Amino acid sequence: MFSYFLRRVILMLPVAFGVSVICFLLVQIAPGDPLTAIMPVDATADEQAAMRAIYGLDKPLPVQYAIWISNLAQGDMGKSIASGRPVAGEVFGAVQNSLILALSAAVVAFPIGIFLGFLAGYFRDTLLDRAVTAISIAGVSVPNYWLGIVLVIIFSVNLGWLPSMGAGPGGSQDWSWDWLHIRHLVLPAVTLAVVPIGIVARTVRALAGDLLTMDFVQALYAKGMSRGDVLRHVARNAAATALSVMGLQLGYLLGGSILIETVFNWPGSGFLLSNAIFQRDLPLLQGTILVLALFFVTMNLVVDVAQAAIDPRIKRS
Amino acid sequence: MTAVDVTVLDAPATVSGQGYWSGVGARLLRDPLTLICLGVILLLILSAAFAPWLGLADPYKGSMIARLKPIGTPGHILGTDEQGRDMFARLIYGGRLTLFIGLTPVVLAFFIGGTLGIVAGYAGGWINTGIMRTVDVFFAFPSVLLAIAISGALGAGIVNSLVSLTIVFIPPITRVSEAVTSGVRALDYIDAARASGANALTVIRVHVIGNVLSPIFVYATSLTSVCMILAAGLSFLGIGVRPPEPEWGLMLNTLRSAIYVNPWLSALPGLMIFVTSLCLNLLSDGVRSAMNVRD
Amino acid sequence: MRHFKGRFAALMLAAGLTVAQGAAAQGILRVGMTAADIPLTTGQTDQGGEGMRFMGYTVYDSLIEWDLSSSDKPSVLIPGLATEWAVDAEDKTKWTFKLREGVTFHDGSPLTAEVVVWNFDKLLDDSSEQYDSRQAAQGKSRIPAVASYTAVDDLTLEIVTKTPDATLPYQLAWILMSSKAQFEAMDKDWEKVANAPSGTGPWKLDTFVPRERAELVPNPDYWDETRVPKLDKMVLIPLPEPNARAAALLSGQVDWIEAPAPDTIPAMSGNGFVISSNAYPHNWTWHLSRLDGSPWNDIRVRKAANLAIDREGMGALLGGLMVPAKGFLPPSSQWFGEPTFDVTYDPDAAKALLAEAGYSVDNPLKVKALISPSGSGQMLPLPMNEYLQQSLAEVGIEVEFMVVEWNQMINLWRAGAGDAAVEGSESINFTYFIQDPFTGLIRHLSCDLIAPNGTNWGHYCDPEMQALFDQIKTTFDPEEQDAVLRQTHEKFVNEALFLMVTHDVAPRAMSPKVKGFVQAQNWYQNFSSISME
Repeated sequence: MFSYFLRRVILMLPVAFGVSVICFLLVQIAPGDPLTAIMPVDATADEQAAMRAIYGLDKPLPVQYAIWISNLAQGDMGKSIASGRPVAGEVFGAVQNSLILALSAAVVAFPIGIFLGFLAGYFRDTLLDRAVTAISIAGVSVPNYWLGIVLVIIFSVNLGWLPSMGAGPGGSQDWSWDWLHIRHLVLPAVTLAVVPIGIVARTVRALAGDLLTMDFVQALYAKGMSRGDVLRHVARNAAATALSVMGLQLGYLLGGSILIETVFNWPGSGFLLSNAIFQRDLPLLQGTILVLALFFVTMNLVVDVAQAAIDPRIKRS
Repeated sequence: MTAVDVTVLDAPATVSGQGYWSGVGARLLRDPLTLICLGVILLLILSAAFAPWLGLADPYKGSMIARLKPIGTPGHILGTDEQGRDMFARLIYGGRLTLFIGLTPVVLAFFIGGTLGIVAGYAGGWINTGIMRTVDVFFAFPSVLLAIAISGALGAGIVNSLVSLTIVFIPPITRVSEAVTSGVRALDYIDAARASGANALTVIRVHVIGNVLSPIFVYATSLTSVCMILAAGLSFLGIGVRPPEPEWGLMLNTLRSAIYVNPWLSALPGLMIFVTSLCLNLLSDGVRSAMNVRD
Repeated sequence: MRHFKGRFAALMLAAGLTVAQGAAAQGILRVGMTAADIPLTTGQTDQGGEGMRFMGYTVYDSLIEWDLSSSDKPSVLIPGLATEWAVDAEDKTKWTFKLREGVTFHDGSPLTAEVVVWNFDKLLDDSSEQYDSRQAAQGKSRIPAVASYTAVDDLTLEIVTKTPDATLPYQLAWILMSSKAQFEAMDKDWEKVANAPSGTGPWKLDTFVPRERAELVPNPDYWDETRVPKLDKMVLIPLPEPNARAAALLSGQVDWIEAPAPDTIPAMSGNGFVISSNAYPHNWTWHLSRLDGSPWNDIRVRKAANLAIDREGMGALLGGLMVPAKGFLPPSSQWFGEPTFDVTYDPDAAKALLAEAGYSVDNPLKVKALISPSGSGQMLPLPMNEYLQQSLAEVGIEVEFMVVEWNQMINLWRAGAGDAAVEGSESINFTYFIQDPFTGLIRHLSCDLIAPNGTNWGHYCDPEMQALFDQIKTTFDPEEQDAVLRQTHEKFVNEALFLMVTHDVAPRAMSPKVKGFVQAQNWYQNFSSISME
């Protein structure tokens, strides 16, 4: 097991390097001057050049990359051009908030998805199955940024039940798991959960349906196992695959919440990213994408290892 | 936002012949839901393609006095938008751009990713390693993040959106196509063909593509709705299509404040995205089951 | 002050009552700003006019300030941290400032002339330990006249200008004074100061969460007793997306939002929210190219274009929240003067002028115009420009747009009409902060500021105009200077030097609980008089 883990970690390193190169190059392809956003509109050419030198933007590309990566190794991701604050602090704070949102969405989505999927798979080709399928397809088809706006209008503006924006009465810094804060989480988490509900339900349905029709299940029945025991058996078999799908979904929730965070002003990484894009804040853009991508890579690793732990056959492939 | 389904399909090693395709056709004909969805999609594509000849109002010409008219206004069957432009015309023309930007990247990625995957799977060795490890790097980014990052860096514009979305969808298609090709390559009759002295291109053309195409195709169709939602999402964020072009995601964005004046009107573009993506998903499911591809 | 639901009287009455009740606890005001981040907190703010409004004149003071106490007349300069100032009778480059006695920073340290000098070095002397490139980027270009400065004694400051420049007081109204003692207490690190800044202003920064919120509490020891805030607290929340702002106000998460989108206003006033607005020195214009070959060199064409626009009609698009342009400055400006050219809607006169110049609807004049779909302070640029395009077409001017992103637009604006990147565009749609003589008039048309070395985008250079600008700078008597400024603006209008379209009215929407706000005709506002019911 440990050697498998080690092998996967070593395989991860070139990917991580590639990710850093892409993150670095990504912002180099950007047209326009990143300093435009922060200089007063009538700043003189000299003032602009001075500012450019401060941010090292006057150096050649490979030099900029070398500086960037060596600073990175020391945990220094540079300073945001727009806010002047260290990128690392901004990104990790935001990722923390995004994790709160992503985990909450997962807590909503996964049990519902698994339950629905299992129902549909177990009662395959019944009306129930069709209803669940309809729900899951609708879930993956709905543009969730639009759903978010609709929910705000209904539950915040018209009914006044839930807040429309922010991460709590005092901002995200004093986040705690009480109703005062969780109120702020309800709408974005539910909106974000809609897609994974659909995806998890579909996966679990297929898994459960397939397993139940397979030979060994028939054999288990033939051996005189009770219905409940068979179900438990099937569940364990499906767990490895379901786990991998859900692990990846969690990664997607984190990276994919940008539109939702924008709609709800949730102070997470997606919100940070969209600010960085519109202010052309290159160091911040780089840092946010890098951290999210590396998180996703690590998530993949964890899922792979966990999967191998549950189902040893996977290690061999 | 929908995440790209990364499950790599089991490679079906069936040799598809004429009988297989007629079977698929027959099964499709017995599936009314899929047919309805196919109809809706075709209708959208046709009306988008022939929009200029449908006698619609000018989707760019507005009137400040006639802005935000409700649905059912005489002369403007679906009302007017925030600049007094005819909503019906803009939704139809909007379908044109939305479908174009939503489907083109999948088609491009189908060819590019398919080719890369076949080459990698067939050649094996360092070519495989080179291609697949590069793909892995792109795969390390969640799809939404990658699309937004590239579009955000490049800035708004139709071409930029196409580029960023195509880059997003090449890796998953390459993976599927590589997996399927490797599976096919291991089969005995390919070895036989190679042993008989046929050159690589011929083997690929005759034996591999025939077997590999349909699983990749099925997989690619399952990506279309994701791609369309994502494309509209880019425009919604302001890093996709630029105004004043009609595009559903952008219309959703520019009509956002109208939600307080006329909520139904501002819901229309979102509804169009929803219905279209629903039909694309159902269609892809229908095709998938008609072709006997397992989930 | 224009209240769209006729709440003016009630509001004034309530304001009166609050004053009578005295300084009881007056609640918390939560403000939704349009900025995407909390403005720089260390002194010289970023985030444009909004930054100065909420984090500048709240926490800090400048030597000379704008009078924000009245809503019905244009605001003028008043003493701030300096109580009086004068230019030397002999040497017109030498100014003496008397500082206010007994002013202390929030950290308790006194304001002295030495601290003011230290603050100038913060912006201008990059070898000083307190030099801050971020504050310098915001402040340096605001005081182009300043050559040197010295502390004569504790409360006397001397500033020498590069050339005689009577607009110096206006320039100094930009420069905010941070505490030297606090900088030293924070290990001489501006990043640390950012979390615990110290100014002399009526508000103190209490807590600060980047990108999310800043909480200001009153400074009970403020030197101007009439401006000690009544509120317990003012919370600033960045909400850049207009609909997020609207939803936050309507669902009661904030009590006040800046710049509500016009389409959300009916829903707000329908639910009892109050819309406040007032004229202020802002303008939305097409800055015209005056390079050789530009059609805008013909005064008949310029006048025709100005006469072709139905500005009242454009009001519908903006929910009435605009002041139709009658000149370059808003009609209520103290420098408007009495121009003879009436900027109004007269399509027949426009057609006649164009006919004289050789154009008609059938043989239209073709012009290319640079516009951007978004941008700070640009109001609703796309629909408004399309409206202009339509109006101009009706008299015989055919407009082709070059549409670029806002950031690119700023670059093209800096580059000037002569740069290849503007691809021959003959005008640029820009909005201007026109609060003082320099930003309002001089910088747009002065010969020595021709782009890319300055902000004269159109390369206009006229000896007569230049003489007026010089006269503004050398007229040290404020009243006489105002007269020259009026004369200058009359020339702006009479020669139709811009396509003068509209002025914004700084709309803000607030809960009916907000009492006592007086919206000044200024980019900045006074929040001290506000209380919550």
